[in-house]
Amino acid sequence: MTSLRIIPFFLLKGKRLVKGTQFKDFKDVGDPLSQAMIYDAQGADEIIIVDIEASRGNKIIDTNIINRMISKCRLPIGAGGGIKTVQDADECFRAGADKIIVNTHAILRPPLVKELVKEFGSQSVVVSLDVRKNKGSGYDVYVFSGEKKVDNDFNTLIKKLIDCGAGEFIITSIDKEGTLSGFDYDLYAVVRNLIPVPLIASGGCGCYEDIVKLHQQTDCDACAIGKLLFLRDYDIVRIKSYIKGKKVLTREA
Amino acid sequence: MKIGIVNYKLGNLGSVYSAFKFYNYDVNLINEIKDFKKNDLIVLAGVGNFKTAVSKLKELKFWDKLNEEIIICKKPVLGICLGMQLFAGVSYEEEKENGFGWIKGKVVKIEGVSLRVPHIGWDAVGPLDNQLFQGMRDNFFYFMHSYHFIPEDKNTIIATTKYGELEIVSVVRKDNITGVQFHPEKSQGDGLRFLKNFLMTIS
Repeated sequence: MTSLRIIPFFLLKGKRLVKGTQFKDFKDVGDPLSQAMIYDAQGADEIIIVDIEASRGNKIIDTNIINRMISKCRLPIGAGGGIKTVQDADECFRAGADKIIVNTHAILRPPLVKELVKEFGSQSVVVSLDVRKNKGSGYDVYVFSGEKKVDNDFNTLIKKLIDCGAGEFIITSIDKEGTLSGFDYDLYAVVRNLIPVPLIASGGCGCYEDIVKLHQQTDCDACAIGKLLFLRDYDIVRIKSYIKGKKVLTREA
Repeated sequence: MKIGIVNYKLGNLGSVYSAFKFYNYDVNLINEIKDFKKNDLIVLAGVGNFKTAVSKLKELKFWDKLNEEIIICKKPVLGICLGMQLFAGVSYEEEKENGFGWIKGKVVKIEGVSLRVPHIGWDAVGPLDNQLFQGMRDNFFYFMHSYHFIPEDKNTIIATTKYGELEIVSVVRKDNITGVQFHPEKSQGDGLRFLKNFLMTIS
């Protein structure tokens, strides 16, 4: 079986990386290139970088940043932010991205995923969904970096995006994001049954044991980590040795 | 040795380029037919669809040139992921399409009851007794694909990767032709070591 991937999740604002709590109160956490080199050296399994202002600013992520990262790092890089067309995605791939991350524009117009898959193959197209628990027992999906709620039913939207060929999902719990209080395990346990492609959990990772628990309870393929790495004294090497000791299949860092 | 990466306008060649650059090799992009001649090693990488790859290679008139360089001149070639799959006689990605046929076999979708498709992530490759794997720290390499190559002649298979009930062919080799299903250029230290080993075997 494929090893559990540990993925530093980079949020890009302007030319800098930031990290907040529940999509607010962002703090500067460094330069994307130097951070990418650090996590590459520590043995991260992948890096995901998303420009959190791109969709709202009607632009795409700065592809020069992607290009600088791939020339210095030897790990797969997923990049996103504002991708609206095949042309936008192509710019990211040309800059060196291995996968593209689509969120807002894929939710507003799911056929975009189909167009991207046709051109680049589903293995390179990751759909990112930001969700918040609603008053019922379900989840609401948000676009434009958590700013606007959409009317789509969560499960129906997932099915539709899978039908369009999405090759992978990253689902972020806005409620948990940046809180270090653990993943929303129920969320992933439920969506896991709907998602036959790889699934990345994101939001809330606050200690080693959270990753072990995620693995045991949800069968996610990967977890995205932010604050734990950027604003606490954790690193990939120690995370991996811990989870390995707990019988989680991981690649030795 | 001069290394030429075939630029057939299909995605991401930067990582392959910078991986070879890491060891200070003389690496460049093959943008036109005349560029083939001056390179000692041809690298075929690229992401996307098999059919699109074939039609782009033909559009640029690289198809016949590649056949000439690899089959007649016996120049070494390294295929990565889709590049390796192009070696096959035939692919069944969406619709049937012929590949180069340098290594007989077919490209088919990854299928299996317990399998997640696409196959994305780091997986173990083995056996490691080949020269290509000398000095590896571990045996994990990065995969990212929905289709896989099944060569007819099992003697061309150098290494495989267990994926659920499937045995995915991860390295093939026949004479001057070498292909890898994983991405050495994305597989950190062991990936770089793999590329270096490969270059040693052909120089």
